[in-house]
Amino acid sequence: MDFFAFLIDGLLIGFVYGIAAMGLTLIWGVMNVINLSHGAIITLGMFGVYLAFAELGLHPYLGIVLVGMAGLLTGMVIYAVAIHRVINAPHLSTLLATFAVNMIIIGIGTAYFTTNARNVDFSLGSVKAGPVNIQVTRLVAAAFSVAVTGSLYFFLYRTKYGKYIRAVSNNREAAELMGIPSAFILALSFGLGTMLAGIAGGMIATFFPFTILSGGTYEVKSFVIGVLGGIGNPLGALIGGILLGIFEGVMPYFTETSWVPVFEFGLFVAILLFRPQGLLGAKK
Amino acid sequence: MAILEVRDLASGYGEVQILWGATLSMEKGQLTSLVGANGAGKTTLLKTVMGVVKPREGSVWFDGRNVSSLSAHKKAEIGLVLVPEGRQLFTDMTIEENLEMGAAPKRAKSKFNANLERVYVMFPRLKERRLQRAGTLSGGEQQMLAVARGLMSDPIVLMVDEMSLGLAPVLVLELFKILRQLKDEGLTLLLVEQNVQMALAVSDYAYVLSHGKVDLHGHSKDLVHDDHVRSAYLGM
Ligand SMILES: Nc1ncnc2c1ncn2[C@@H]1O[C@H](COP(=O)(O)OP(=O)(O)OP(=O)(O)O)[C@@H](O)[C@H]1O
Ligand SMILES: [Mg+2]
Repeated sequence: MDFFAFLIDGLLIGFVYGIAAMGLTLIWGVMNVINLSHGAIITLGMFGVYLAFAELGLHPYLGIVLVGMAGLLTGMVIYAVAIHRVINAPHLSTLLATFAVNMIIIGIGTAYFTTNARNVDFSLGSVKAGPVNIQVTRLVAAAFSVAVTGSLYFFLYRTKYGKYIRAVSNNREAAELMGIPSAFILALSFGLGTMLAGIAGGMIATFFPFTILSGGTYEVKSFVIGVLGGIGNPLGALIGGILLGIFEGVMPYFTETSWVPVFEFGLFVAILLFRPQGLLGAKK
Repeated sequence: MAILEVRDLASGYGEVQILWGATLSMEKGQLTSLVGANGAGKTTLLKTVMGVVKPREGSVWFDGRNVSSLSAHKKAEIGLVLVPEGRQLFTDMTIEENLEMGAAPKRAKSKFNANLERVYVMFPRLKERRLQRAGTLSGGEQQMLAVARGLMSDPIVLMVDEMSLGLAPVLVLELFKILRQLKDEGLTLLLVEQNVQMALAVSDYAYVLSHGKVDLHGHSKDLVHDDHVRSAYLGM
């Protein structure tokens, strides 16, 4: 019955992958920027929760909420400082700008925290579902991910600023002409993407130990998920995340763990070749 | 006093200069048309007035105030609104959401319900399709929506770029009638038109733009009889 344990483990982590990917694809969808600081921001989310827990003694879930709020502001500042000035430049400029942000975060982080592993020493135990033991922290994370996705939809489709984001994403110049402050909306979108990445990092920190360099793996997974689920579609990102999680979960059952990334990226390339609009179809 | 005044405006794209000192002025409640050959710089002029294209020289005055350095969304906020060439709708959003986005300026928010009612009376077809995605509308319906979205921002001066392009003559007439009616309600309008005959027939005053400069201007009823205009733009 090992198989089901792997499957459920992968499935539940997949929800969190989905949130991370949502952050990446939101930014890409709204402003056509591939955010190479995504992984570093995920790491910041991990360390944010770790510091809140280890230094301030806050409950990790409270830490995740705080990390989300801090992420929103941090993302808006990053946008204003590093990205807005190159937003209309060719892709290479925004790639370099976000890569520079990545290097700055990783550099300062390494100087301050070294690359030693950290761990949020916290557990909610496990529940037994038939033959399988499930970590409660993973159940909570999956439920929280669903809530975050639902809130994002509510925000984008039902609130003024959410609709402004969709308008700017759809046609930036028209939005500006209609009186929508497009620069602020872009900053807000980058903030939201950063918030999602930070929250995902925070949730991952409640499962696994991590180092200042851990975010990179999740950044790459986010790209794979973006391709699976399509760009600019939060539900696609969530489903893509779950699919990738399941895939990662069950693969070790059939092959050695070290082969998993090979299949993962084989899949990535295959989708790019045969269904570049994403497996689930994308908005654009 | 002029509600909108453009003084010696120069602008362009990168190395290329398109506008070479264009000057025009519009009285409140007037319907002005701006005509000129393809590539004369009409769209560039409107975009520069809005600030989407940055002015290199000259200034834009709105209601006695120099607004040259305001960004486009701030101009919309004070009532200077452009219905851009090529409609530029939010194609992934519904008709009603497009209209809602039109009402982004603060001054338009309090009048949202009344304005929505008004544009739905003007364009009943939009009301019937209010939950349809804008990208799925026919060309004519999209143009109606573009005009309606512009009206939702409760403009003081509304500039419309190439409203009639690609539309059936019946629909063009219908839209011109609506603009005429808006003018009678006190709106100031600037129309950029390919259809010079129509433009001169409905407008009070007209400017002819050529190579980025105002070549000629005058009361529309006089320009219709101008020999140069007749041969160059009316094909007579
Ligand atoms: N984004 C741009 N980049 C570079 N050149 C541009 C750009 N937009 C317009 N131009 C050039 O500027 C000139 C004026 O264009 P503009 O669109 O203002 O003309 P127009 O009078 O509106 O023409 P039409 O009647 O065809 O709409 C043209 O030669 C055009 O090629
Ligand atoms: Mg034009």
